[in-house]
Amino acid sequence: MVGRKNKHTGLVVCLMGICILMLTFSGNVLAKSKKARLSVGFTTEEALANLQTGEAWQYTEMGAVFWPLIYDQLWILGPPPNYDPLPMLATHWETEDFQTWRFYLQKNAKFHDGKPVKAADVAFTLWYLPKSDPSWDFPDNDIESKKLIKLIDDYTIEFTLVNKWPGKYPPASWMPILPEHIWKPHKRKLTRFKNEKAIGSGPFKLKKFKGGEYIWMVKNEDYWGEKPYVDEVVFKSFGGQDALNLALKKGEVEFIGYNGASPLSVEDFKKTKNVDVAVSPGIELVWIAFNLHKKTAIQDKVVRQAIMYGVDRDRIIKMVYLGYAKPADSFIYPELPEHNPNLPQYDYNPEVAKKMLNDAGYVDKDGDGIRNDPKTGQDIVLEFLVPSDWPQEVKMAKLIREQVKDIGIEVKMKVVDLDTYYEFIYTPMDDKFDLSISAEEPGPNGSWIWEFVRSFEGGGKGWNQSYYNNPKFDAFLESYLTETDLAKRKEFAYKLQEIIAEDLPCALLVRPDLIGPYRTDKLEGHVEAMGGFSNWINSWSYFKIKPKE
Amino acid sequence: MRRLLNQTEKLKLFFKLLFGHRMGLSGFSIILLFMFVSVFAPLLATVDPSRSGEFENILLSPSSQFWFGTDDLARDVWSQILYGARVSLTVGFIAAFITVVTGTLVGLVAGYYGKLAEELLMRIVDFFMMLPELPLMIVLAAVLGPSMWNIIFVVSLVSWPTTARVVRSQVLSLKERPFVEASRCIGAGNVKLMFGEILPNVVPLMFAQAVIMITEAIYAEAVLSFLGLGDPTSISWGMMLHFAFESGVMARALWWVMPPIFSIVALIVSFSLLGTAISDILEPGYKEQKGY
Amino acid sequence: MGLRGFIFRKIVAACLTIAAIVCVNFVIFRMAPGDPIRMMFRDPRVSAENLQLMKEKFGLDKPLSGQFVAYVKGLTRGDLGLSFSHRRPVLEVIAEKIPPTLLLVISALIIAVFLGVVLGALAGWRSGTRFDTFILTASLTMYSIPTFALGIIFLLIFAYHIAIFPLGGIVTPASGFEGFELVRDVLWHMFLPAISIVIWYVGEYVLLTRSSMIDVMGQEYITTARAKGLKNFRILKRHALRNAMLPVVTITGVNLGFAVAGVIEAETVFSWPGVGRLVYDAVSKRDYPLLQGVFLLFAFSVVAANLIIDLVYGYIDPRIKVRS
Repeated sequence: MVGRKNKHTGLVVCLMGICILMLTFSGNVLAKSKKARLSVGFTTEEALANLQTGEAWQYTEMGAVFWPLIYDQLWILGPPPNYDPLPMLATHWETEDFQTWRFYLQKNAKFHDGKPVKAADVAFTLWYLPKSDPSWDFPDNDIESKKLIKLIDDYTIEFTLVNKWPGKYPPASWMPILPEHIWKPHKRKLTRFKNEKAIGSGPFKLKKFKGGEYIWMVKNEDYWGEKPYVDEVVFKSFGGQDALNLALKKGEVEFIGYNGASPLSVEDFKKTKNVDVAVSPGIELVWIAFNLHKKTAIQDKVVRQAIMYGVDRDRIIKMVYLGYAKPADSFIYPELPEHNPNLPQYDYNPEVAKKMLNDAGYVDKDGDGIRNDPKTGQDIVLEFLVPSDWPQEVKMAKLIREQVKDIGIEVKMKVVDLDTYYEFIYTPMDDKFDLSISAEEPGPNGSWIWEFVRSFEGGGKGWNQSYYNNPKFDAFLESYLTETDLAKRKEFAYKLQEIIAEDLPCALLVRPDLIGPYRTDKLEGHVEAMGGFSNWINSWSYFKIKPKE
Repeated sequence: MRRLLNQTEKLKLFFKLLFGHRMGLSGFSIILLFMFVSVFAPLLATVDPSRSGEFENILLSPSSQFWFGTDDLARDVWSQILYGARVSLTVGFIAAFITVVTGTLVGLVAGYYGKLAEELLMRIVDFFMMLPELPLMIVLAAVLGPSMWNIIFVVSLVSWPTTARVVRSQVLSLKERPFVEASRCIGAGNVKLMFGEILPNVVPLMFAQAVIMITEAIYAEAVLSFLGLGDPTSISWGMMLHFAFESGVMARALWWVMPPIFSIVALIVSFSLLGTAISDILEPGYKEQKGY
Repeated sequence: MGLRGFIFRKIVAACLTIAAIVCVNFVIFRMAPGDPIRMMFRDPRVSAENLQLMKEKFGLDKPLSGQFVAYVKGLTRGDLGLSFSHRRPVLEVIAEKIPPTLLLVISALIIAVFLGVVLGALAGWRSGTRFDTFILTASLTMYSIPTFALGIIFLLIFAYHIAIFPLGGIVTPASGFEGFELVRDVLWHMFLPAISIVIWYVGEYVLLTRSSMIDVMGQEYITTARAKGLKNFRILKRHALRNAMLPVVTITGVNLGFAVAGVIEAETVFSWPGVGRLVYDAVSKRDYPLLQGVFLLFAFSVVAANLIIDLVYGYIDPRIKVRS
């Protein structure tokens, strides 16, 4: 009676439990669809949380790769080796003085909602996007007044920049052309618009967006230009590098969305069936920024140069990158024509470093193994700022600290979170660090990187991490930026690099390679550029990839 | 009638009972092992784990040279485990000490004086007990910055209320005992009573609490470090797991992941066993049961 | 007085606690180093005017007292501010993440309570036997493994080496699953994180139920029941269990703090898109409004849950009604 009822409840519960277990264990069977899908993997840190334009489209990995698929640009950076500017929404462009530009637009381009793309949309974007969000405000789209943007006709636009923009590339680079009819109500603050449908005019359309988890895009069948060769692109987020790597091995993603894989996993990927590894020259440059505002021994050029002689780049490349990096000596990549091949190299030579320091009077007076600054008599102890979120750079900083200790200078690590790092490094006059790791991805069209060493008075405020103050350099920089003759421009470029390499406000260290594992069984046609298959300057893999025959 | 034992005899009895208690003995021995290891770490370690090693030795599986293999900076995992014991034990002991001392003081004062002091202090205690621990620790650690001392501070801050409450209950019941009345008749002042008579009787409870707090502290240090809130330049088991998780090669380097996990669990379990033994021993009637 | 007085006092206490939490929350975040507005913009080229605009928008240009007033005012309206990293209202961001966490926690809790109480009761009933020692040691161990460590172990074994479970997340991305398939997909993803949390809970409930059971068994009414000749199992069910459950109910309330910890850890390891993971993300991005909002949410839930449990306990426990 009572006893039996108890027995039954027990059984029922057990059966329920088994049912649930069976449900979960039956795994999942993804419907085998006929569509050609390109899945790309990111980590959740890199993922987009929402579709609002803003910093996220520039500073998150997923954002920077996502928007060029949905939105057209006026012109697009071409594939290597030349990285020429190629027409996109603009069929061609002309200028007489490099200050006023005329762009001629495609006549049959349409937004995903069917409305045509007109010059008014370009004008709208050009004017309101940089105003809404400082991160879109670049020298090459700096227009003083709305009146200086003229709509010659529905498909021709003319605008005048504040400064001349000579050089290989036209202005207005890397901007998504937004549909005015959708964004106009938010024109005062574009970054607030939720943009849930993400209507653009690009080769892909947004199908579904799950913030932090995935972005599902489909081919734009009505695209005015060369249509993509895959039906779908899915950006998937994974909890960590491990998960991402495994997903690639299992076939859940085709390649990695931005930062590639860690050097430690290369061998493992090479051994995996249907997976190959492409090692591309990186787009990232890593350097040491010396704080020239703070009154320490660092202010002496000799000390900076000695430190660089004391740094063993080869060991860093071996230990931190397992060999997958190249030494860097300039903000301009060696394969580009403007790179100066005759820059002073600071090859690892601790003896030279020690001699330089000795000769300049930095000797160890109190026998504690640390040199003393002759001006103050104190030990030279420097604070080395590095963000905790950049594991490679943290490792690098630890190695540099060991190496610099060997030449008699004590370096203390100051590891902070990323936001604190950005706060400290852009305000060198607050003296929160003596030297710091810094990294950027200038890309082939990267003259903006020179703003990092333009003096504060000369307009470098907010960029100049070193508080470098050299009016002569500023003058050369101005000449470089406004010189229309390409040969003369190259000369100025050489000079700029020379000055920086000599003065060392920023000491270039390495250019990490991009390790791009990719699957070889379903798709082909990956386009490799500096920085791999997929980054902010390279959307070509998405445009060209197609199913294997 | 049995005479009351003095302090040394009490201690001897305690240890006798502890060693007779199966769990207590195992727990105690493991703890002793870890303490030994952490004190003698420099001697037992094969290399100085803080300096990065040679390139060829990155991510090696266990071998005769590297007993637990190496991590992604070619550092010996075995040596890291040894030095990590120092961090876990230090954080554990110091945080537990601060927690128990603070909690006992508050509980003592609140229980003894009663009325307004008790109300006020207990409100504060209740408030703290309402706060979810881990989020509070995370938030404080994030705000204060990564360092071992911040972790100790944060853990103590979050844990002292439990001790306070437990001690207060004990004090409340002790207050009414005859020996307290007797002392008061003789003319002993409040403070003397509190610290002279009541406190010694609270001491066993303090030990029980201390052991619990140690496990909390060790666990907290592991979690906070794993989440990235610990000091990245220090070697701790939690930090090892943090770096392993971030490295992208965790799945391939089980020798890097398992030893820290095992050590954390072993240490916490051993303190828990010790704690269970202590609470069993303190149970009235236990020593009679064992024949003392 | 009696019951009503009891309820009244508990509610007042809860309100005071909430008020204190709100204050503490505000203070902690203002203690943080670094300028939060600066931190919003990675880009250094933000002009001074823009920074000022942002400051005004977030109300950070006012003096601390003004900020506090604004903060409290906002709270009453349900406005928890704007998340720095998501650029959306904090409440919105949190609201999205609540369902996955609830799903995870409730499932884990149900399984854990069931298993824990049953095992603990049995162990307590047979206290002193080998079975008891075994259960006791097993529970101590389970209770001692940090949830994240357990999660990592499960992840490595069952998602990597024997890959029968997914690596994380709540659904298979862009799968197009609907209805039953979707449910199955979610359950499949939920299994490992839930088990990680369950194990810790089971350990705890076993220990609790067992000791409470031992206490109860020493009581007189049990011996009386035995003397009456009632069968063992019946005694267990009718008398012992019911009374042993009381402390278990209370502890569930206190344990919510621990539940939160388990959830944060499991969600981080398995990338479960819930509120726990949000804590971790908010911390790493120094998104103060979001962190504040999540912390408030956790604190409020714990206070509310404790209040409910206190009231339930007050209702159940006859001794309370009598006290005045």
